[in-house]
Formats: sequence, C-alpha cells, structure tokens
Amino acid sequence: MELDFEFRKQVMDFHIGPDVIKYCYQCSRCSDNCPVTAVTTDFYTTTGYNPRSNILAALLGYKDLLLGGDDLGIWGCTVCDTCDEVCPQNIELTEIFTFLKNQSIALGKGPEFIYSQAKAVFENAKAIPSQPAIERRREQLGLPAIVAPDVNEVQTLLKNIGADKKLK
Amino acid sequence: MTEYKMFEGCTIGNRIPFIEAASRKVFDKLGVETSQAPFSCCPDPTGVKSFDNDAWLVIGARNLCLAESEGKDIVSLCNGCANTLRGVQHQLKHDSLKKDKINSELGKIGKEFKGSIEVKHFVDVLKNDVGMDKIKGAITKQLNGLKVACHPGCHYMRPAEWMESDDPMRPTNLKELVAASGATVVDYEELALCCGSAVTNAYEEYGMANLKKKMDSIKEAGAEVIVVNCPACFQQFDTRQRDLTKQFGTEYGIPVLYLTELYALAMGFNPDDLGLKFHRTRLSGVLEKLGI
Repeated sequence: MELDFEFRKQVMDFHIGPDVIKYCYQCSRCSDNCPVTAVTTDFYTTTGYNPRSNILAALLGYKDLLLGGDDLGIWGCTVCDTCDEVCPQNIELTEIFTFLKNQSIALGKGPEFIYSQAKAVFENAKAIPSQPAIERRREQLGLPAIVAPDVNEVQTLLKNIGADKKLK
Repeated sequence: MTEYKMFEGCTIGNRIPFIEAASRKVFDKLGVETSQAPFSCCPDPTGVKSFDNDAWLVIGARNLCLAESEGKDIVSLCNGCANTLRGVQHQLKHDSLKKDKINSELGKIGKEFKGSIEVKHFVDVLKNDVGMDKIKGAITKQLNGLKVACHPGCHYMRPAEWMESDDPMRPTNLKELVAASGATVVDYEELALCCGSAVTNAYEEYGMANLKKKMDSIKEAGAEVIVVNCPACFQQFDTRQRDLTKQFGTEYGIPVLYLTELYALAMGFNPDDLGLKFHRTRLSGVLEKLGI
C-alpha cells in the first residue's frame, strides 16, 4: 500500500474548517452512530461500511485502498450527517466523504443512480424533468405551471467546470 | 409579511405535486406570500454533490443569484433543497477561494453570487415567521386522538452548523407544529434515524434493513400516521412500506402525511382537493377516525 501525498493534501484542503481532521483519535463515535454501519458490518466491523476507517485512510493518504476496493466502502454513506454531529472533534466527516465520492466518480466508479441524476440535471436542468401527465395533474390541483429553468445556462456552467466529461 | 421565492424542488414540483397543493393552501390561509422563479434543480445534496462538489456549488449559486436579483428570501418545501441552498451559501461565505472560483464561472453567464438573501425551510417559516399562535388560530378541526410519529428527516437539521434549525439529534420543531393541530405526538426510539433514501438508491438491501428499524420503532410506538417535511422521506415511507412487508412479512400499513397536508385537513380543506388519493399508503382509516 502506498501513501499518496497529493491526495492527502486534497483531503486537508477540502475540509472547510481548520485542519481538525488531523485530530481524529479514532474514537468510533461516527461508526457507532452510523445507520449504514449498523446494517452492513459484522461484530468486529471488519466488513461493511465504516466511516471511522475511511477518515483514517483519507488522512494518511491511502488513496488506492479507499478508491480501489469495493464501492460500498465509499458509497455506503447515506449522507445523513449524523457522524458530523456526534464527532467530539467537530470533523465534518460528510464533507470528506463527498471528496472521496467525487474522486470515485473521476475514476468512472460509483452507483448508476448518481450518473443518471447528473445526466438528467445536465440535459433538463432538473433531476426530475417535467412530464405531460404531471403537468396535467398540477393543473387539476389548481397549481401554476412550473417556470422553466434556463437549460443553456446550466449546461454552460457545467461544461465550463468540466463536469460534463464525467457523465456516462 | 414578506414575499418569498417558492422553491418547490424537482420531486414535489415534477413528481408529487399534491404536496405543493396542500402547502400553497396552508400558506394562503396563514398569509405566507410566495412568487415563482425559473429555478433549476437545487441540486441534490446526496446526488449531484456526490458527483462533483463544484457542479453542486455552481448550480446552487446560480439559483441563489436568481433570488438575490429580486432581493427576496427563499422558502423551500424540501429538506434536500434547503440543505443544498444553505450549504452552498455556507461554503461560499466561508471559503473565499471557492467563492472566487464560482463567481468567475457565474460571471460568464452575467451573474454574481453575493450572499445577500436567506434560505428558509418551510418548517422554520411556519414556526418562527408565522408563529404558533397564528397557526393555532387557523385550525378549525382539531385532530384530537390522532397518534402521530414525527420524522423531520436528516437534512432539515443536520449539519447543525449550516442548517441552524433545530437540535440535530433531538429535534422538537416538527413535534411542536404537529401538536398545534390537536393531534397526539408519540415518541419513538428512532426519531433521529435517517429514512435511508440515499443508501437505498445505491444498495437496496441495506436501505431496506435500515427502513425496517425505523418502521418497527414507529409501529411499536402505536403511531397511526407518520408526518414528514421532506419529499424524499415521504416517498421512502409511502412507497417502500409495501416492499418491506413483502420482504420481512411484518404488516405496517401506516399512512404518511406531509406537515402541510395534516394542516390542510385541520384547517378544513376537502381531502379530494388535496390529492390525497395519490398517496400509496391508504388514508381512509385516518380520515374515518377523524370524521372527515
């Protein structure tokens, strides 16, 4: 296993607050309170989704270990932000996990629904595009029509930051 | 009262608009004025943010610019949209490098993020701006005896650092608002547990195992209805309960109401005008009990 120093720097930079991630002492409050850890791991938490070990590997720079393994190791996170609240060191774990997911996408990995949602937003500027049946239902319910977003503007923004190249 | 820009979001606007119908009726009754804007997807704090954080920032910031150009605050009907718009605002206000980068992109379409408006979840607008007295005054049909399990959902109050709405692990706002309708709020152990919507999209097996914990806890508390304030949570409870029964054999049959639907019933609106028939879980038992 190799350390990736650039990866380590990126992890540190991603954290919006001060470098509190360095002060993680592996207390396990995150994994003890993680709803996905609760339903994926064995008693010794050697398998399944484990936020505590993700933070350790990220802060040490073990890029390949994190991104080379089973997708569950990163994509098991359900973004409930519980770990952020119970961490005694105020580490914004979910932000670090966002960085790991972004890195996983850059390698073309990650679950299908993330790609399909990003594609829908790129093509329609909405994660769920407008459909005639729902438009009729809105009318029946006495609702105004949705004001259409400017798809060109959204596409321009996404192309200029290169997000379109990550789509499948 | 000030006029808000309505951010109904993709799920409510383009999939389950009956929630918007109830919300607009309740807003009208309480004097909450709104107007529309050509908002895009917020975008999803569990989807697009996981795909590319900069994409999330730039699209979110564009939406904020639209409200800023009119000088109006946003009211969001959805936990995810409120979480994204507040989260984008938080990152851009606390990270000048990110803000410069996003503003140079926005500049190419003639926009600039200033951070001059507020984004509010509708629960906070009801509780803080409208106030409990006014809400109680608008209730014409007390929902006495109805046992309600509240589920505020993760992104309404977490991360507390930028949601600034409620206690992140022991939330009380939704309970207070439900109690104002005359209904009885029942406590259950897994109040702060996630509905599991995001993980269910990626790993259905684990999402369902999580949902079972949540639903077992709600059932054990004797709840007759679950009240929510997020469309993703709404869909998770409303559409996946039957799958849960198929998978584990436990019968739940606990209907789900949006807070504004509960209020619309308590304010005397006709259930037929609310589109309650579009719910997957059946509400007939609840309506019968309430004599509606």
